[in-house]
Order: sequence, then C-alpha cells, then structure tokens
Amino acid sequence: MLRFSFIFLAAVPLMAQDGAEALSILKKNCAGCHNVNSVNGGLALDSKEAILKGGNRGPAARVILEAVKQAGDLKMPKGGKKLTDAEIAVLEKWVQAGMPAPESFLKAKRRTSKHWAFQPIRPKPANATIDTFILAKLQEKGLALSPRADKRTLLRRVHLDLTGLPPTPAQLEAFLKDDSPTAYEKVVDQLLASPAYGERWGRHWLDVARYSDTDGYTIDAPRDIWPYRDWVLNAINKDMPFDQFVIEQVAGDLLPNATNDQIIATGFHRNTPSNYEGGIDFEQYRVEAVADRVATTGSAFLGLTLGCARCHDHKYDPVTQREFYQIFAFWNGVDEVDKEEDRKYFNRPFLEIGSDEEKARQVKWEADIQALELKIRKHQESLTENADKDPTLIALRKEIADLRKQKPKLLRTLIMKERPTPRPSYIHLGGDFTRKGSPVQPGGIAVLPPMPENANRLDFAKWLVAKDNPLTPRVTVNRVWQKYFGRGIVDTESDFGLVGDRPTHPELLDYLAASFIESNWSQKALHKLIVSSATYQQASLPRPDAAAVDPDNKLLSKQNRLRLDAEIIRDSALVSSGLITEKLGGPSFFPPIPPGALSVTQVVREWKTATGAERYRRGMYTFFQRSAAHPSLTVFDAADGITSCTRRIRSNSPLQALTLLNDESSVEFAAALAQRIVKEAPANESARLRHGFELAVQRAPRPRETDRLLRFVRQQRDSQTEANETALWTSVARVLLNLDEFMTRE
Amino acid sequence: MDLENRLTRFQTRRQLFRNCGFGVGKMALASMLADGLLGAGKGHFPAKADHVIFLFMAGGPSHLELFDYKPELAKWDGKPTPESFLKGKRFAFMDTFSKETPKLLGTRRNFTQHGNSGHYFSDLVPHIGSIADDLTVLHGVSTENFNHGPAKMFANTGSIRAGRPSVGSWVTYGIGSESKDLPGFVVLQSGPRGPRSGAALWSSGFLPTSYQGIPFRNVGDPILNLSTPKGVTPEQQRQTIEVLKDLNQMELEETADAEIATRIAQYEMAYQMQTSGPELIDFGKESKETLEMYGAEPGKSSFGNNCLLARRLVERGVRFVQLYHTDWDHHDDITKPLDLVAKEVDRASAALIKDLKQRGLLDRTLVVWSGEFGRTPMGEVREKGKIGRNHHIDSFSMFMAGGGLKPGIKHGASDEFGFSPTEGKIEIHDIHATILNQLGLNHTKLTFKSQGRDFRLTDVAGRVINPILS
Repeated sequence: MLRFSFIFLAAVPLMAQDGAEALSILKKNCAGCHNVNSVNGGLALDSKEAILKGGNRGPAARVILEAVKQAGDLKMPKGGKKLTDAEIAVLEKWVQAGMPAPESFLKAKRRTSKHWAFQPIRPKPANATIDTFILAKLQEKGLALSPRADKRTLLRRVHLDLTGLPPTPAQLEAFLKDDSPTAYEKVVDQLLASPAYGERWGRHWLDVARYSDTDGYTIDAPRDIWPYRDWVLNAINKDMPFDQFVIEQVAGDLLPNATNDQIIATGFHRNTPSNYEGGIDFEQYRVEAVADRVATTGSAFLGLTLGCARCHDHKYDPVTQREFYQIFAFWNGVDEVDKEEDRKYFNRPFLEIGSDEEKARQVKWEADIQALELKIRKHQESLTENADKDPTLIALRKEIADLRKQKPKLLRTLIMKERPTPRPSYIHLGGDFTRKGSPVQPGGIAVLPPMPENANRLDFAKWLVAKDNPLTPRVTVNRVWQKYFGRGIVDTESDFGLVGDRPTHPELLDYLAASFIESNWSQKALHKLIVSSATYQQASLPRPDAAAVDPDNKLLSKQNRLRLDAEIIRDSALVSSGLITEKLGGPSFFPPIPPGALSVTQVVREWKTATGAERYRRGMYTFFQRSAAHPSLTVFDAADGITSCTRRIRSNSPLQALTLLNDESSVEFAAALAQRIVKEAPANESARLRHGFELAVQRAPRPRETDRLLRFVRQQRDSQTEANETALWTSVARVLLNLDEFMTRE
Repeated sequence: MDLENRLTRFQTRRQLFRNCGFGVGKMALASMLADGLLGAGKGHFPAKADHVIFLFMAGGPSHLELFDYKPELAKWDGKPTPESFLKGKRFAFMDTFSKETPKLLGTRRNFTQHGNSGHYFSDLVPHIGSIADDLTVLHGVSTENFNHGPAKMFANTGSIRAGRPSVGSWVTYGIGSESKDLPGFVVLQSGPRGPRSGAALWSSGFLPTSYQGIPFRNVGDPILNLSTPKGVTPEQQRQTIEVLKDLNQMELEETADAEIATRIAQYEMAYQMQTSGPELIDFGKESKETLEMYGAEPGKSSFGNNCLLARRLVERGVRFVQLYHTDWDHHDDITKPLDLVAKEVDRASAALIKDLKQRGLLDRTLVVWSGEFGRTPMGEVREKGKIGRNHHIDSFSMFMAGGGLKPGIKHGASDEFGFSPTEGKIEIHDIHATILNQLGLNHTKLTFKSQGRDFRLTDVAGRVINPILS
C-alpha cells in the first residue's frame, strides 16, 4: 500500500501535464452522478467547459476541492467515502495548473435522450390517413371501426365540436336533405368559417392561458384583459398559423415594429394571478408569476413538467434546475412591480387602448393640457412679483388641476414589456427566491434543439415552434385530438416525459404533427383533417365485441360520448330556446347569479346582472372572478383560471342537477323554449313534444319516449288549478333541458 | 388491483360501473357516489375519527393574547426588540418594521390556569378555558408565508399557490362520506367578510370537483339552487325527477354509457338534498338550552349558528365541516377589536365541543381551532396612541379536541417571548398529516397524479404528531 502510494505520488508531476490522472479520479469517483445526463446539483464533471460553468453553487473547480476535502457542509463523494490525500493532491494540482485536459474533454457534451418524445417527427408515410393508423391497431385485435353515426347525431356532434353550438332546425333540415357526397364537407367548411368556431376553440386555448377577468389572490379586483381574449378569438377565426400564434403571445412585443395587436397578444403570460394585499413582498409574487410562466410553457407547448425542476433537478426528465431558471430568465426582465414603492403601478406593464373617439378625446385632452401649461408659463413670465397671489394665475392653476382630473380613462390591457435594464437571474436554491445560487443566462433545455447565443424572449418564442422542435407540434395536435375523443393519443396530455403515458398510436401522432406543420400550422386544416376521418364520424354506440379486449376504447372502435363543457351546456340551451345573442368579443357580461354565490370572498364585488340581449351571450363571456367563479361554470368543471388547464375533468354531481333544474337562468331558458314550442309547433301534444325534443337534442323522440313524456304532460295538466299552456310546456322544456342527452355530445 | 392506480384517473367511475355491469341496484349506486378512493370510511388503517370540524380563525389570532402565556415578555414591554430576533427575518409590512427597531409588547390580558390540565388561557376566552381538560393545545406551530391569502391557502391546501386540493377534498377523496343526501365536505362562513382567497381555500384543485367544499350560504338557499323554482310544487319536482329518470334510463339502454347511470343517481341525490337541506338548517327541534349554549339564534348568520350547524352536519354523516370566521387581523389595535371577535367565537367554540361530548360524538369527531398564523411579540404602531401586532409565522398556538387525541395535554413550546419554538418544530404539514392519520389515512400514500407528478396534501414533508395521539 505504502509502496503503491509512493509510486503514485511520484507519477503526479508527469501525469498532471495532460490531466489524465485527475480525469481518471473524477471519472472513478464523481462523474457517475455528475455527468451531462445526470447532473446532480446542476453539475457535470465530464468536460472542462462544464466544470468552468459549474453547478447550482457556481463554478465548480473550487467547489470540487472543498467537497472532496470534506471540510465544509458539502461532503463528496456521497455515501461516506473519502478520496485519499494523494488523490486530493492530484486534483488540487490539476486545478492549479488550469485543468489541462485532452481535446476530447474540453468541450461540454450535449445531453442526449433516447426518449420517444424528443426524437424527430417521422415523415408522413405515403397514402396514410388517420383511419389507416387506427384501423391497423384495431385489426391487430380483430376489430373494425363502428359504422358512421346517423346524420342527425353526426351533425350535432360536428356542430358542438367545431362551434360549441347545436345545429338549428334549418341547418338540420338542410343537411338531411343534402344527399350529395360533399354534404358533410360543406357543413365542416361553413362551421370553420363561422365566428362561433373562434369562440369555441378560443375558449379551449383560454383554458391553457388561465384567462380570467380578475387579479386573483386576496384582492381579486377586476382587470382589463379581455382585449387579449378577443385577440385569441380573432386569431383563431383568421386561422393565424399556430407558430405565429405562439410567437405573438410569447414575444409579440419584441417583434420588429410590433403592432398593438401583437402587443395585446402578450397578455397570454400576464394572465397570471397578481397579489398586492397589504404587507407583501412584491418580489415574491413577481417570482411566482414568472415561475408560473415556465410551468405553463412546459405543459402548454412542450408537454414537460418543467415546474418540477423549480426546486431541484427534475426527478424523471432530463431537465435541470439550471434549465428551469434559464427559461425563467426570459421573463425575468419583464417590467413588473417588484417593490412596495411601486405599489400604485401594481398592474404594470399595460397598454392603453380605446376607440378612435376615445383616443381622439385623449389626444385633445393632452393638447389642452399642453396649451394650458404654456399659457401658465407665459403668464408667469409676464408677472414680476408675488406670482402666487395673482388672480389669473390662481384661476389658471385651478383650471389645469380640474382638467387633469378629467383625464379620459382608456382601457388598460395587461401586456409584456421589457425593463430598460434586465434583472440578473439566478438559480433559486430549493426554489426559494431569497436564496440566490449560481447566476444564469437565458437559455433552453439541452436535450432539445439548441437556442441561439444571447437569446431573448423572441428567440425563445421562435425556438418553441422551430422546425426541429418535435414537442410543440406533437403536444398541440394531441391536445386537439383529445377534445374530439375525450382522450389524447398521449393520455397524459401535459406530460410527454419519461413517466408520462406512451402514445397509443405513435405513428398517428407524428402523422398529425407532420400534417400540421406541412399545412403551415393551420389549425383549421387540422380540424378538418380530424373531423373528416371515419374514426371521428363513427357511431358512439356500444361495442360489446370490443369491451373485453379494449375496455377503455383506447383503440377507438367507436366514438366516445362526452358530457358538454360548462359554457356549452348554457349555449345549447340558448340555441334551443332561441334566446342566444351572437356577438363576438367585448367586455365580459354578468348573467344572473344565485343569491349568496359571491358572499364567500373578502370583498363582495358588484355584480350588475345583464338585461336585454346582453343577458343571453355565450357562456364563455361570463365574467370570471377567480375567488368566486360563477357557480354554473364551476359545477360543470370549467377551468379555474388560476393555473394552466390542458384538460377539463368531467365530473357528475348532484350540484349539476340542482343547477340545471333550479337555477334562474335554467328556468328562464325553459320558459323561452316553451314559448317557442307553443308558437312554432301545431297545437297538439305529440307535435309539440316532437318539436321540443328536436330543438333540445336534434332528433325525434322514440315511441316509448313520447309515451312517457305524454304521461308527464297529463300529470302536469292534472296538477294545474287553471289551464296555462306556457306553464305546462315550461315544465316539459325543463325536462328536455335536463336530459343526459341534452348535455352530451354523442 | 392497485386501488390508487385504478382511481387516479377520472374515468374511473365509468370503469367501476363497467366492471359491475348494469345489475347495480340503486342503493349500490348511491353508495358508490359517496365513496372515496378506498371505499366509504375505509382508510389505509382503522380510523380513530370519522369527522373533522375545522374552526378556522381567519386573520391570524394573537397567540400572545389568548393561549401562550409569556410573563417574561411583559417585563420587556416597550423595550426595543433584541437584534438577534430580527436578523435575517422577513415580516409582512416590512416598511413599518424597517423604519425603527420595533418595540416588544407585553400582553395586557390576564392569564390563569384551568382544570387539571393547567392549560393557560386569558380572560378573553373564559368558555374555552372551562373545557381546558378536553383540549389538546399546541404551541410553537409554524407556517411558511406571512401574507393572509397565501398563508390561508397553505393552511387549507398545503401550498401557498392556489390550485391544490384542500384538506377536506383530500379527505373525501380518500374515504368518501357517510351522508347520502348532503355533500361530504361543507363550508360555513361567518364574520364581516369572507376569508381572503375565497373558493381557492376549499377547492378540489386537480381532484374531481365532486370533492370540492360546498359552501352553505347565509343568504338565499343554504346550497345554491337548492330551492325548487317559483311555481313548481314539490309534487311536480318529484314528477320531473321521475320522468328524467325514465327517459335517461331509456338512453342508458340505447348507449350503455355508465355515465348515465351516475347521472340518474345524482338527480335522485339532488332531490333528496332538497328535502334534507331545509331540515338541516331548521333549528326548530333544538332545545332552548342548546341554542343558548351556542348563542345561536335561528335565522341569523353567526359563528354560533355555524357551530351548531356543524354539529348537525356531523350527526348526519358529513365528513368534513370547514368553518371560517373573520376577522382576527389586529394590526392597529389589539384591545377592543380583539375583545369583540374573541367574544363572537369563545362561547360557541366551547359549546360545540361540550355538545359533541355530551352526545357521544366527540370521540369520533376531531375539532381543530386555528388561524393561518400568529402575531408578533413586537408591537406595531400604525396610528398614534394605538398598538397592534404584525403577522408572525415562526410560532403560534392552536388547539384540537376529540378524534382520538389525548385530552388535557399540551405539546410544543415557544421561547420566553413567544417568538420561536423551543421544543422542535410543528409545521402545518404535520397538522395535516395528523388529521389524515386520525381518519385512517397515511399522508404519504394518499396521492393523486397530476401534471406528471404524484401530489399529496403534505407535499414532501409532514410527520404525524405522535405524542398527542391517545
């Protein structure tokens, strides 16, 4: 042993020249846990570049020596081992010599992963369609697709899916009459061209964007951010290419000659809740918002649970804590309030917008102020002494003070804007913003395609939708697919990482992603591609033959029955009853709300219940207060507007029944439907029943359904003390608007 | 089959029905709806308690005026706070503290020992003092955030960020409820305003919304939309439910979608709630003595009424009752405003525990009394001539009763100023772990997968406070 040490020591000076001995020590004792693919503590020790860059505690050469000497709190290697004094001496000498190493050790190695989701998107096979991929898997199990759904079911389905509105009797009639082979395609094109399409698919995106009309946290005051919401609806209606859709929302403000619209689009990441209750540390909540943006970027675009890397390196996926803060750094320079002194600017940065008239008023106001200021200055100059007592000057000063109070109030929509000087970014040790670790520069994730040097937020936005980034297109098409079938091809729609589910149809996922990119990221083309497939159009009726081999219908031998979203249940009732007001965008509105629904928050805010046409707007325009969201939305699982929502749960609860049976709006819709039934249908019970049933679920009742409903009609008639047709048919309409089928897309 | 895995997806119920076929009777259906992850009432191990009543004191009650007797602090009254207490600490309203070194504030309240347990209570809470021997008092409890909204979120959901399931949601998700005609998790609120953060405090987060807390309101229906619409008779409502059941049944036969079976059962339950709801809030059958004990007045909105309601809910099998009472946030004045809120709460808090005990319910009901944090030993002067206390998160006091805990004991302690704990830390995650434990749930095993991660109420922390368990 002694002799060995002696030889070893003697060899040091020679070997230190090329660092081979030191590298061998690192490799044997350290690199197992500290290499590019396993960066514990953010540290890789498999290249000189990585050592110089260091880990979460900063540049590593010094840290290594401290750790192996085990004098401080960091003791390495782990597990009670200790390097020999000789080995430590080798390392020390090597560091002192400037870490000489062979060429192969100099440059940082690129982190790689064989995980499926990080691999390039495969090119489309020739002649492939959605159905060929689905059929191939079904045939493996001896199954086939179900037959096409009947025309009424199909029309209702595609209407609800593309626009969130059921077909009107006229639309239904036209489709039933049209026997041409293009009948269905015509409908699809019409629906994709209708403004309601933007509202429906815009709402899906607003779930992801955690859109809400109030600030959240304690104060939860109203904020003006609906111009962002309208930007989304318009962008989707215009079929803005999805890559551009992403770029403008993430960094529209940094585009050359950015338009107001492009700036408004950046409201996307300003939908984060903001806290300004008394006594807070503004920096803490600014950091929360920035961290939320990283996590949302992960779930919305990359399908990665980036939020997991906030406090430590990701437990499963190749995402380090450093990388979390590299992405964090892209939003760290946004000009948001970080200290108490700036409290009054709490919603900074914002964009003031208004109509031409409002803007003209603003311009005139500014001009008036300037004119008055000039007048005051001139008058002051003309005075020789005792200016403060001059009556003209006093009057002028009063005039300008009054005018200042009349400053026109323009809408302030929250946006992104960089500070003049960026904030330095650090790793927050343990996720604690008060514990600053190693400084970081904006950057990406090693296993994904590289980002340009000195990247800014715009570069980051472009990187999200770069040709060689396979995640964003895959995640996007998967989320769209999920809306049509209730489950994505990857079931864990926001986690494409190592513990996420594998795709049931990997080739189909790539086919959709490739088609999406090929169509210049056209969302409309993607929708058309999916709804045109036989897979989408098949019936949702039971498949006893498939139940045993595919109990969850993952292979799609039938369509799935899906309960409608909260807003769409309302919208369906509005269409059935004919009450609907079709008006795209504008400030959110206030439908009736049950008494007491708002009494649970700190500040009970005014709820000015809408009247007239405004009262019958689509559910997606309901004013959304985070701390007391409208109960008809929450009981039907609407997104909470607090964290990014990539999939709504579909619960089934007694509160839903109470809402649809007893809520003021439900009763109002039933009464309107009743009036319509009485007015439009021939005056006999069967005809009225049939008309009401068709208005509610777009099909005629089956004979036994008619019989049962007729019995109900008789019961209601018998219980009436005096005949009242409207009341009678309101009871029937109430039943129709509570049918399971009414709130379900078949 | 691995229950946890089986049930981590929301399609689960569907699957359950599929496995059971369509022979499921109505009773079985109804019970399944009320069941949690592990089946109604079945935890990871036998439970010590079946119900929880959490009396949440919103605003941060001053432990130094109520429970944590600090004679030494009185001696330091008016003296500048020693530097060692302030160094490296962050407080709410830093600006008021950073202008000049804050001065310590001794309490003006009289403390006496009560019962055999010898618990100290101040004269602000004589009724609570009178049941000292039933109480398990914790001192030196700490939390993580010094602002109301986030700290409330932390106490209610284990996270300062909104969007996580609340304690009540985790519990009902885990073991369901015994009530077939009332929600398993009920929220009651009293005081001048609602608690900060509102619905985020009883949210089901990423759990299905059927596990969210249902607020019983003081205005309008106790449960939103509980009343049948005007002009609809109970008979007509019954006929409506029946025709819906028959029509949905026909649709179920066409589509074989188990979701419809659930819907039928939910409409039935909604109808039953319409009957049981009004009966629940009708105090007509409560004796005069009971009403007096709680200070409850039928038809009024008060903490006393809510405590009585909590007992009635637990009697009817409701699993988790969450009360909030505002407002204990005494920055400017720790004298009269504190008298007032203590008076609003003292009598009914004690009455609830006494009443549960005399009815034999306390053994199986865990009562928890706590705020989101305590208040600083330093005084806070916002207005000349008045003195209050700032938020304090390092050490505060709370108490619990019943539910398989050791009565009449105290656990944990704080230093002579009530500033820091001295006998080991008790954290909010520990409180949560202990609540779950009493209900037969292992806090490390009660998980739900969301966004690629198995979440738990206690995150990566939490230790059951074994010394207080009987």
